[in-house]
Amino acid sequence: MKTNRMATQVKESPPINDRVLDAMIGQTRPRIERAMKILRRPQARVGVIPSPLGRLLVAESDRGLAAIHFLFISGGERTLEMLRRKFDLIENEASARRIEAEIGRVFEGDFNATARPVDLSLVESDFQRRAYAALRRVPPGAVITYHGLAATVGQPDSQRAIGNTMATNPIPIFVPCHRVIRSDGTIGNYGGGVDNKIKLLRAEGFEVGRDLRLPSRAVMGHRRTGIFCRPDCSAARRADPTRMLIFADAKCAGHAGLRACKLCKPA
Amino acid sequence: MSTYNLKLPPPFEEAVKSMEREIMRFLVRSTGDRDDAMDLFQETWLRAYRAYPTLRSEDGLRPWIFRIASNLCRNRARDRMRRGRVIANESADDGALDYRAPNHLNGGPEGALHLKRSIARLPGKQGQALMMRKFAGLEYTEIGTALNCSAESARASVYQALKKLRIEE
Repeated sequence: MKTNRMATQVKESPPINDRVLDAMIGQTRPRIERAMKILRRPQARVGVIPSPLGRLLVAESDRGLAAIHFLFISGGERTLEMLRRKFDLIENEASARRIEAEIGRVFEGDFNATARPVDLSLVESDFQRRAYAALRRVPPGAVITYHGLAATVGQPDSQRAIGNTMATNPIPIFVPCHRVIRSDGTIGNYGGGVDNKIKLLRAEGFEVGRDLRLPSRAVMGHRRTGIFCRPDCSAARRADPTRMLIFADAKCAGHAGLRACKLCKPA
Repeated sequence: MSTYNLKLPPPFEEAVKSMEREIMRFLVRSTGDRDDAMDLFQETWLRAYRAYPTLRSEDGLRPWIFRIASNLCRNRARDRMRRGRVIANESADDGALDYRAPNHLNGGPEGALHLKRSIARLPGKQGQALMMRKFAGLEYTEIGTALNCSAESARASVYQALKKLRIEE
C-alpha cells in the first residue's frame, strides 16, 4: 500500500512542462538538420504496377530506376528491405505509371523503351556493377552468352559468377538479363520465370522455338569488326566467340549499326 | 487498381514525431541536465534515423528508441565517471540535500528535488526502468525490450526501485 502511494507520488512529481520540452526540442532542430544533410538517404518512389509479365514492384530514385521485383515470385519484403537500407521510401503513383508505360512500350516493339538511366545502388560488388553496365550495351534484338558477358567484363572464366549476377539482378527488363543465354544456344533460366524470358525475347524479335532454342534466322555479330555473319560462315567460326553477339535477324544487326559479311552474305 | 498492399513503414520523421516529448523528458530525467539532454536527444534522433531501416516492425519502435536513448545515457554516465567530474559535483550537492526534508514528498519543490536526487542514486537499470514506467508510461514488455531483459525483470527492477525510494522516505 505504501509502495502504491509512492508510485502515485513518483508519477505526479516534478512535472516538466510540455512547453519547456518543446522549446528544447526546437533548439536541437537546427543541429539535427545540419547533420541530416550528410546522413539523409536519397529518396526513392515505389509503387506496384500490372504488366504483361505479372505484377511488379518498382522503385526509382532521382538518379534512375532502382528496382523491379516480380511479385508472383515472392512477396517483395526482401526487396523493400534492401531498398530501405539505401533509400527513404515513399509511395508514388505517377512514377509507377510512367514505368508501367515504358514496359508497355517494350511489348510494342519500341527498342528505346528501356533506355532511361538506372540507379545501381542496390548492387554491392564492383564485378556485378561492371557486368550490368556491360549488359546494358547489349541492344534489344541481340543476346549474349554468359561466357561472352564474362569475357566482356574481363574475366572470361567467370560465367558462373555472371549466372549468379543475372539471378540477383535488381532491375530486370531495364538491365536486360533476359538477353543472356547459354553458349549452346538454349535460352537458359530467368529470375522472373522462363516464360517471361521467352515473352521478352519474343517482344524483341527472337522467335524462340519450343525447344527453347534460338531460331535459325539468327546471325552472329562481331562487336570489334562490326560485321555480322550466318552462324555457319567460315569467318564467324574462326572469330573469338566471346566477342560475338547473337542477333535475332539481319535487320536487327543492321539496326545496331553492323554491316553484312561479304563472304556468307546474310540476307 | 492493384490489390497488392504495399506495406511501407511511415517515414522516420512522422514515426518519431509523437515520441519526441517522451524521449526528451526521459533524457532530462536521466541526465538531470538540460544541455546534456539536448545533446543526447540529437544523438538519439540521428542514430535512430540511421538504424531505422533495420527495424523490422513498427510496433517495436517505442522500446527500440528508448533503448537507444538509455544506452546513450549510460555511455555518457560512464564517460563522466572516467573523467571523475560528476563525482565531485554530486557529492557536494548530496551533502546539502541528503538528510533534508525527506518528509516533504507530497508536492512541494523540495520534495520534488529530493525525489529527483533519490532516483538519480538508484542503480542504473532500476532507475531507468522506473523512469520508463512512471514518467514515460511504457509497458513492462516494452521496458524489457529497451533494457534487454525480460518483462518480469523489468517489473522487478521497478519494484526494487520503488522499494528503495520508500526506505529512504
